[in-house]
Amino acid sequence: MTGPGLPPGFLNGVRIIDFSWYAVGPWGPRMLAPYGAEIIHIEPPHQPDDHRFDFRPARGINAKDQKVWAEEGSPPFYTGPYWNQLHNGKLAICLNTRHPEGMRLLHELIKKSDALVENFSGNVLDSWDLTWENLLKLNPALTYLSTAGFGHKGPWGGFRTFGPSAQAGSGLTYTSGLPGREPAGWGYSHMDIAGGWIGGLGLIMGLLQAKRTGKGVRVDYAVTEAAMALLGPYFLDFQVNGRGTDRPDFPPGNHSEWPGVAPHNTYRCAGIDRQGQDWWVFIAAETQEQFEALCDVMNKPELLTDPRFATNEARVKNQDVLDEIISTWTAPRRRYEVQDVLQSVGVIAVAVQGAEDRVDYDPQLRHREIYPVIQHPEIGEFEIEAFPPKMSRTPANNHLRSPLIREHTDYVFGELLGMSEKEIGEYREQGII
Amino acid sequence: MPKVFEGYTVIELADRRNQFVGKVMADSGARVIQIEPVTGSDARFTGPFVNDQRDPDRCLDYWWFNTGKESLALDITRLPGQDLLRRLLATADVFVESTKPGTLAASGMDFATLSKANPKLVYASLTDFGQDGPLVDYVMNDAAHLAFGGQMGSTGYSEPKTTPIGGQGRQAFNMASVMMLHTITAALFEREMSGLGQHLDVSIHDCCAVCTERAVSYWMWYDEPFLRQTGQHAAPTYRTSNQMQAADGRYAIVTTPRFNQNSWVKMIDWMKEKGVAGELEEPQWMDEFYRAEQVRHGTAVADGIKRLIATETAEQVFLRGQGMGLPWVDIRRPEENLQYDHYKERGFWVDVQHDEIGKPVPYPKGFFLSDELNMRPERRAPHLGEHTRSILQRDLGLSTDQIEILTTTGVAR
Repeated sequence: MTGPGLPPGFLNGVRIIDFSWYAVGPWGPRMLAPYGAEIIHIEPPHQPDDHRFDFRPARGINAKDQKVWAEEGSPPFYTGPYWNQLHNGKLAICLNTRHPEGMRLLHELIKKSDALVENFSGNVLDSWDLTWENLLKLNPALTYLSTAGFGHKGPWGGFRTFGPSAQAGSGLTYTSGLPGREPAGWGYSHMDIAGGWIGGLGLIMGLLQAKRTGKGVRVDYAVTEAAMALLGPYFLDFQVNGRGTDRPDFPPGNHSEWPGVAPHNTYRCAGIDRQGQDWWVFIAAETQEQFEALCDVMNKPELLTDPRFATNEARVKNQDVLDEIISTWTAPRRRYEVQDVLQSVGVIAVAVQGAEDRVDYDPQLRHREIYPVIQHPEIGEFEIEAFPPKMSRTPANNHLRSPLIREHTDYVFGELLGMSEKEIGEYREQGII
Repeated sequence: MPKVFEGYTVIELADRRNQFVGKVMADSGARVIQIEPVTGSDARFTGPFVNDQRDPDRCLDYWWFNTGKESLALDITRLPGQDLLRRLLATADVFVESTKPGTLAASGMDFATLSKANPKLVYASLTDFGQDGPLVDYVMNDAAHLAFGGQMGSTGYSEPKTTPIGGQGRQAFNMASVMMLHTITAALFEREMSGLGQHLDVSIHDCCAVCTERAVSYWMWYDEPFLRQTGQHAAPTYRTSNQMQAADGRYAIVTTPRFNQNSWVKMIDWMKEKGVAGELEEPQWMDEFYRAEQVRHGTAVADGIKRLIATETAEQVFLRGQGMGLPWVDIRRPEENLQYDHYKERGFWVDVQHDEIGKPVPYPKGFFLSDELNMRPERRAPHLGEHTRSILQRDLGLSTDQIEILTTTGVAR
């Protein structure tokens, strides 16, 4: 049996119970929706997922209706923009797991599912008596992915994080910034997205392992650990060479430390963006040929015989001076002009792009159909960000939408769990579903 | 239970962009053969090196990204090298490559050709811009991807004249590698049913472009561009920073969440203890709705927390805050995590033996704590050409004489 409206795909028949919320958890199941998985997203009754609201109404898209809803607290049936990304392609039900009957229904769902996903803080499922041992009793081939900042096991198992604090604890925040200044970190929750994708990897790995062995798979995913695994060489440098990152020259801004190559930086260009921020281009010469080509374009052949810049080693030592020279050249020029002229001679150069640049002007993203238009019954047509991988024989479906609130009550409780219309009505009245 | 990728053979063309893919697969049980130039993969010369001595077998960056792999040093620009690679690919499960689109087709190693000989082959191309499009010839590196893909555009300081910043550690390659790992695993799952492989095309630029959280949807839905800001998500307007300086000069990420009553009372007690509660002691602040309004529209709560943080060490901010259910964490240097019992108890540090320096080195275990997946580095990264002979002999059935010819002619090392 497959959920209503699911696209044909090789994951048809794979069912995932999705208790995820905020941003890091929803990604894991969401990455399987384009391949046809049946993902049942569960919200507590009267507590719609935060991202359904996305904090304010969308301008021009049912804005009036959304305002009424926010003021009156009536059930939401439309969605915020990020909701459409994080819960794209899922089914939606409401279930009160604090009610014994709600818990019984959850048990029935677990028996009929392949995976259970949640990103509550560490002890929630245990408090529901759904320990791993008990989950296995319900379903010996279940994949269970839990996502938490510090994981479940260990002294910090119940601790809470969100994307930026998980990044902070791992070291990822510290490694981004200008030398001698406070950390710049990441201007968005990198570990909610990249970290969400890693959770998704754990989920599909678990499903593959369960398929091959017929046994259940428990994945205790700590986002801080994943972020540390994205910083491996720093740990080895410390362990082997005793060199930590507590140095005046670290973090190196946009310079390149490993490998040490110069030039390698952002350079100010002509113009400002709509917010009044300067425009920038990133330029790097990783080889001598690239540096020669850069000097040629800048019409500065004398740099090639200047002992401060003649070799990469010398350039790295004198990169601040070199940066000044390049900045003087880029300052009166438009960023895309610099990009075009340098790329045409094989030098690494790209504009620092914002969202408008990517959505409206980036020819590559347009060619790759990264911003498809989808259909939504309440909102109409609008653009979303695609799920980017391209599989030649079993492509991802990038035209799915997020579910309305309780949209799949009849399918899940009726068709899947065999409840009659009358029972569904009674359970609804009692606040169980 | 066997590891999740046990039984799969992966052939990987060495590259800084894709080496993380092979590492995670090797750590998860796959046999990963890295094909590298006879002069060594570029990744061996990235640095840092052991004692800062440049040596392809002592590059720590290479050590991290290549645990558990075998090294076959082979010149695949020459005919004998191409022939040997084709023979390996005839029986492989997964081929991981990052060459410029069209490069391998010239020597008959494109997906269409290889899949005729090996229909179960999963052919994984991880490239800067994917297999097609107007910019496929652009030259890039990791920071360039962060610039072009949107990470830098959202990251920096609350100063419109100061440069955007890209994070260190080759995070563009890392996130695209994760996406490729997901896609490979999905393809292997699908292959369990169909018995067939396929071509996987993952573009680093595509991955970066969809990895900036709300930046794109805010532009699409509200026509609002973002401002970079210190210690805070980029947003249409400047907001109170979440990054606060503690008494010891270190920073912590501290939010002003929707406090529940319990957390609020405990935090106010903590402020009183430090003598910094100020107006927050007043009775109206006990009202949740009043508080929520003030958090949304005022700065009194954030100012109070800022005063509190300034009286404590960053570590205490973390420990006491978490004890009250607040998601506060100090900004740590990566290596500071080595001291904490939490990660030790989770078995996060895994010793990998390194005879080159005569001792084991503790490595981060990997993404997951899972007995069933059992992802962890089992063996150090290979030395250049360490497995050339054994692979040529055992896997490809070459005689000692044939191997001698290949090495003396510079095709293999």
